[in-house]
Order: sequence, then structure tokens, then C-alpha cells
Amino acid sequence: MVSVAIRNLTKTYGTTAAIKDLNLEIKDGEFFIFLGPSGCGKTTTLLCIAGLLKPDKGEVWLGNELVTSSERDVYVTPQKREVAMMFQDYAIYPHMTVFNNIAFPLEVRGEDKSEIVKRVTATANLLGLSQLLDRKPRQLSGGQRQRVALGRAIVRKPKVFLLDEPLANLDAKLRVKTRTDLKKLQRELGVTTVYVTHDQVEAMTMADRIMVQRDGVTEQIGTPEELYNHPANVFVAGFIGSPEMNFTDCTLIEEGARLWLDAREFKTPVPTQVAPKLESYVGEDLIMGIRPEDLYERKSVKGSTQKNALRMTVDIIEPVGPYLLLHLRKGRCSLVARVKNTTARVGQEVDIEMDPSKMHIFDKKTAKAII
Amino acid sequence: MRFPKPRRVTLYILLVFFAFLFLLPLWTCITTSFKPVHDVIYTTPVELPLSPTAEPLITALNIMQRPLLNSFTFTISAMILSCLLGSINGYILTKIRFRGSDTVFLFFSIGIFIPYQAVLVPLVLTMSKLGLFNHIEGLILTHTAYGIPITTLLFRNFYGVIPNSLIMAAKTDGAGTWTIYRRIVLPLSLLPFVVAAVFQFTSIWNDFLFGVALARGSEAQPASVALANLRGTTEFQWNVQMAGTLWYALPVLVIFFVLGKYLMRGYMAGAVKG
Repeated sequence: MVSVAIRNLTKTYGTTAAIKDLNLEIKDGEFFIFLGPSGCGKTTTLLCIAGLLKPDKGEVWLGNELVTSSERDVYVTPQKREVAMMFQDYAIYPHMTVFNNIAFPLEVRGEDKSEIVKRVTATANLLGLSQLLDRKPRQLSGGQRQRVALGRAIVRKPKVFLLDEPLANLDAKLRVKTRTDLKKLQRELGVTTVYVTHDQVEAMTMADRIMVQRDGVTEQIGTPEELYNHPANVFVAGFIGSPEMNFTDCTLIEEGARLWLDAREFKTPVPTQVAPKLESYVGEDLIMGIRPEDLYERKSVKGSTQKNALRMTVDIIEPVGPYLLLHLRKGRCSLVARVKNTTARVGQEVDIEMDPSKMHIFDKKTAKAII
Repeated sequence: MRFPKPRRVTLYILLVFFAFLFLLPLWTCITTSFKPVHDVIYTTPVELPLSPTAEPLITALNIMQRPLLNSFTFTISAMILSCLLGSINGYILTKIRFRGSDTVFLFFSIGIFIPYQAVLVPLVLTMSKLGLFNHIEGLILTHTAYGIPITTLLFRNFYGVIPNSLIMAAKTDGAGTWTIYRRIVLPLSLLPFVVAAVFQFTSIWNDFLFGVALARGSEAQPASVALANLRGTTEFQWNVQMAGTLWYALPVLVIFFVLGKYLMRGYMAGAVKG
């Protein structure tokens, strides 16, 4: 069990940079997730940690050991790093039985025959594979193959696990179950784990900390709560959370000694506790963000639009089991609100209110969060 | 493809006709091999022998015995060596790679297109210098070297289909380059090995030019050269020649019958890959 440190890592393919100057510290025993859309450099980073890819620049440390450094000309081969990797296509050896697949890393390390049998059996029991040890991979289901790949990774007790989209090829139901199993297993084994996914739900549910990457650049590193409640920029805010956060372009104006966000269709006062942070932005274009669950339907009021409330037309109502998603529209502004129940019908107007303390405000020029 | 009935019938008639046409030489070869000299003169080659005899086959085998053994020795040795080396080359060129590996592959590809005739003189000189002229070892070396480009190409195409993640997984599992080849790549190579082996066996077995240039008239003379010498100098012994041809063709025929199925699959695999 070791920590993983990445310093100034850069890797370029041709002219496109897969990773640009990445710096990262992964703590001992942590479940760390690289999250981002495909082609953002997540897997490249993982391969650099495994030693399967040499970066153009930068260093990789496993605990106190420097394993990759182009500047100091250090490169420890993947065979000598105590790192196990699991691939998206599982990469289990098609000509070997389940037993031999799991035993392979032990065999090439020259472990005792009896020790191999003992550890493979224990691993198979842990993963519920004991009945399948004599089968060949083509006789297994997707979920079973996934567990064989996992077994091969954990059997040799590595210091770091690297998992590249391990759940991507499973069906939805199995994915949810495996997610929990995997998290539990990681807790039990306590092995530092680096996990790559493009699925924000996976990342949010499993990770101790998440790094959001885009185009080889780190957008934000933080716990799931931090990313959800305090996204550093528009990209992270939009990438995390389902349904997506609502974004509206607006201008900051000063009126009657108060700051207001003017989105043309509606105007909302800036909460006084955050006003000081915004003072310098008066007259500038901003982006306001609010999550669907922070919008409420106001029911008790009849007649004219209330203060802070926005009268909008219901476009679509999506029932999602425990709650409803209201797709709302007014002029060029459209929002999604998550509500418990509603009496409104499609085409009707409703009054929508928001929790101002849950509001996110981004600078339109830099896309960075102001609050 | 389903044809309407009359077209299907025409198709079958055509196919049977062409099959018959292509099998005719083999048929005459078989009939003539069982004819005494008298029958060869008084019957057409297509007709069955009047008084069948195994005499020509025995005569031909007596003459061809040693050359056939020679051919077996160098064909099988060179076949195994060129397949093995081609497989290793293909593995290195696709899965390990190194600076300039594409250039190296280009040179291998060029090797396929060098005509035999172009290298004959330097080849004979080199073999004499090495002391391998008129030796089986010389033929093994030559055929192995000449087989490597085509087997390399074949294995390279096949290994392109093996997912890289398999190799990467083996690396993180702790296996070195050679262990990965032996434990992962080689066991997955049955199909290309069959294809390459059949291809190499037939082309080496059928070769005449290298045999005649490197070992004519010697102890190491291959069957193809011995067969040509069966023609004799004063009279044409058609029946013995045909019997010799039959002996000579037999191994290749057997191989095609036994492994033809795999061969088609192998060619297809290569074709789809492109």
C-alpha cells in the first residue's frame, strides 16, 4: 500500500497533447477516480502510472520510489512495479482456464505451486468464482469475465490497483451491483486504487476523491461533495450531476443599493452574504447555475408573479420514480426542475422559486466559479 | 447466394466440368503409374491400364527414395524454422515495437518480391564459402531465409488482431517479453501456424531452382531435381516418370486434404484484416 505522486506529467501524441503538465498526489489507501469525457487523457495517465507508456516529461512516484522520470532517465518496467491493472476489455487470456488466468501473475513470479493453489482458491472464493475455475473465458458471462480480471489483479496483492473503465461493458443492473461490490472490496483490501471512468454516477458513488479531466487538463480535484457543491468551473458543474445543472447567461447590475442578476426573462437578487465577492463584476456578463433539485414550485400563491419567483410554461413532465422532472420554458430561458409532485399539466404555467444560497455564479469569460 | 433452379443446374454442370478438367492430369498420372510400358504405348493416357502393375511405382520409389528423404528433411526443418522466426518477428513488430520497426518491416516486405533468379549466383558463392554447397544444411538455410519475409508478413497481420491490452495485462502481471511470447502469443497462434506451415511446406517442397543450383546430382539432391532426372537420357519411361510424380505430389496432396479447412479459415482471417 503506497501513495502515488505525479509531477508535471506531459504526454503528446503527434501534435495533440493527451496530458498537459499534470500534478497529482493520491493518498495511501485512497479510492481515486479520474473522471472525464472520452479522449481526455484519463487512460493515458493510468498507463503512465503502470509504466506501460513513457511520458514525454514529468515524474511518477510510487511511495518513496521514483519509477518514471524522463529528466533523470529513470524508468522502472511495468513488470517490476507492484501495480495491477484491469482493462476495459478485461484482457483475460482466452486460451487459459479461469484458474490459470488468476494464477498467471503468481506463476510468472515463480511462487510455490501450493502457495499458488492456496491464493487462487482464496481469491476465487472471495469473488464467487470457485465453481468456474475449470472454465475457459468464452464459456463465461460478461460479469464473470469481469470478476476473473479482477481476481487476476488482486491475487498478487499489489500496492496499487489501476482500473480502466472496469464496469463499462456490463449491463446497467449488474453495473450498479458491481459498483458496490468493488467499493466494499477496495475498503477490505485497503489498496490504493486509481479508477478511470466517464460515468459521473460511478465516480460520485465510489470515489474518495475525484479528478475531473478535460483535453488533458485537470479541471478540478476534490471529494464528490466538493465537486457537487462547489464546482470550480462551468465544465465540472455541468459534467457532475444528473440531470445537469441549469445554466443561464445573465448580467450583474446594481439597483437600489442591491446587486441583481438580470437574465432578461427574470431578475433575482444576489444573496447578501455573497454580494461582496461579486462587487467587482458589476456590469459584466456572468453565468448563473442552479441544480434542478434547488428549484421549487410555489403552489400557494395565486395571481401575479411573486417576488423572486419565475412564471414558466411546463414543456414536458418526466416521471423518474421518486420524483418528477419538469422541463420549463420562458422565452429563451429553459430550466429543468426536480420536484416531488406537481398538479401542473403540460402547457400550464407554474411559479418557480430557487434557493439563492444554492446558486452558482461563474465568470462568463473564464468559465471559472466566482461563488 | 441462392440461384433460381435452372441457373443452379447450369452452375453445377459448369463446376463439375471444370473440376473434371482440373483433375484430369492427376487422373492420367495415376493411370499411367500403374501401366507397364506396353500399355503406355497402346492405350491413351486417360484409359485404365490393360494389365495393372505396381512395377513403375516401385522402380520410381527406388530411385526417388533418397531424394524424397532429403526433401522431407530440409522442407520440414526450413518450414519449422521459418514459421518460428516469422512468428517471433511478427510478435516483435506488432507488440513490442521499437524505433524504426516500420522500416525493418518494409525491408522484410521487399524480401518477398526478390525473384529467386536474382540471388542465384551470390547464393551459390556464399554457400560454397560456407562449405554448405551440396549439403542439406545449405538448403535448410536458404529456404528458411527465403521463407522469413512471407511468414513475417503473415504473422504480423494475424498478431495485429490480438488486442494490445492482452500484452499490457501480461506485462503488469510481471511477464517479460519472452514469457509473453511463450505463454500468451504462441498458444494463440495455432491458426497462423497452420497457414504458414502449409504455405511454406508446399513452396519449399515444390522448389526446383534452389535445389538444382545448390545440390544437383549430389547426395543432398532434392526430390524435385531427381524427378526431372527421371526423364532419362535415351528413352522416355512415361510410366516411371508418372509414378515418380505421384510419389512427389503425395505429401502435398495429403497436407491439403488434412489441413485445407484451416487453410481457408486462415486466408479468410488475413483477408478480413486487410
